[in-house]
Amino acid sequence: MSEHEQPIAPVQLKVSGKTLALITGGGLVAGALIVLGAIMPAEFNTDPLGIGKLSGIARLWAPDEIEVDTNTAGGPLAREYNTAPRTDVIEIPLTDFLGGAKGSELEYKVAMKQGATLIYEWEAVGAKNSNDIGFDFHGHTTPEPGQEMTVASYKASRGLSQKGALTAPFDGIQGWQFSNFGDGAVVIRVKLTGFYDLVPSGQEGNLAGIVANVPAAQARPDFQPNQP
Amino acid sequence: MRRHHILFALLAFALIAPPVFAHAIGGSDAQFVRNTVGADPFPFLYLGAKHMVTGYDHLLFLLGVIFFLYRLKDVLLYVTLFSLGHSTTLILGVLFDFGVSAHLVDMVIGLSVSYKAFENLGGFRKLGFELDNRIAVGGFGLVHGLGLATKLQDLGLNPDGLLPNLIAFNIGVEIGQLIALSLILVVMTLWRTTRSFGRFAIAANALLFLAGIVLAGEQLAGYFLAGDA
Repeated sequence: MSEHEQPIAPVQLKVSGKTLALITGGGLVAGALIVLGAIMPAEFNTDPLGIGKLSGIARLWAPDEIEVDTNTAGGPLAREYNTAPRTDVIEIPLTDFLGGAKGSELEYKVAMKQGATLIYEWEAVGAKNSNDIGFDFHGHTTPEPGQEMTVASYKASRGLSQKGALTAPFDGIQGWQFSNFGDGAVVIRVKLTGFYDLVPSGQEGNLAGIVANVPAAQARPDFQPNQP
Repeated sequence: MRRHHILFALLAFALIAPPVFAHAIGGSDAQFVRNTVGADPFPFLYLGAKHMVTGYDHLLFLLGVIFFLYRLKDVLLYVTLFSLGHSTTLILGVLFDFGVSAHLVDMVIGLSVSYKAFENLGGFRKLGFELDNRIAVGGFGLVHGLGLATKLQDLGLNPDGLLPNLIAFNIGVEIGQLIALSLILVVMTLWRTTRSFGRFAIAANALLFLAGIVLAGEQLAGYFLAGDA
């Protein structure tokens, strides 16, 4: 009988006030650091402390993607634009493959409005073999955190040159990821004409900080290849 | 001694299990729920059990609740209170189409883990503020159920056969909870018999507290940054 009437009092630990403050304070600080420094950059593309970028955790983030069919397209064949066409020559220096991802691979894109057209021609100067250069010609929107990203893949292959025209399927950035698999440094010379805007250094599409219309030696001021 | 390693491996897994196991009902399961018309109890039973067994925020809370419950009678009492709480809000929430942001509910669930850890550490007693444990567990049960209800509603349940499916899901939740609880109980009982329990009980509850803060912070960030995800 008496056992039934016993009040239910679960045992608790007896911890000193100092330890308790240490545990809760430490828990709050460590928890905040984990959320702000790791979870927010990796899951929500937000990096309030800059730790995500510093540690590379921020690179884990990728928005949900919607793939666009790039082989069929609608729209008028003749178009008029109310902006001026422009012409640029972009020289992109790439180290040999030993230069690592920072030196031998690079992405260069330009900003285009939906329906805008550009004519392009690029070639790899200094490449020895026809399969030394890998390229991925593609475009995508630049969504806000939490939104989906629309992507278009035009061509991913190996080769030393490409020429053609592109009409942007959506407002966004369009361009190439170039990778040098060869054992010598090369310069990718990209010539563009049409209705587009260059992406400023350090922004999505030109994270490598390529400067247009200057010789390759000056085109990537933020990067020094660490090799002889 | 080897027993300790297993215990800590289990505990560590509970703490670092990746968010993919977390909470939302996703992928093909979500599609199934959307496409179901009419009563279909057994799949819903399974989904409820799966949700509970793989929902590590629920599990961490249960771990906190039974941390210092030595008598089976007490375990049963608290688990019943918790079940009553979440059954109420799960069924009523879906039937009356009542729900709040899943992120906010999950945030409170995260905080419930920290609350229980803080209490296990004797924190509330120290502050001179003691809420009856039965009310706290029952109350958090209501919140956990609201979380389940919100997630089920997001899937767009068909009104045809809603109540039987809901009840089946709820029974599944209880079964899943019993399975998870038995495992936690076995581990806890084994651990209590060892000397390390006394030494690591504080550390374990400190980790629980931290895990709750991280869960809550993640959901808070999600609420503001992830749109309606």
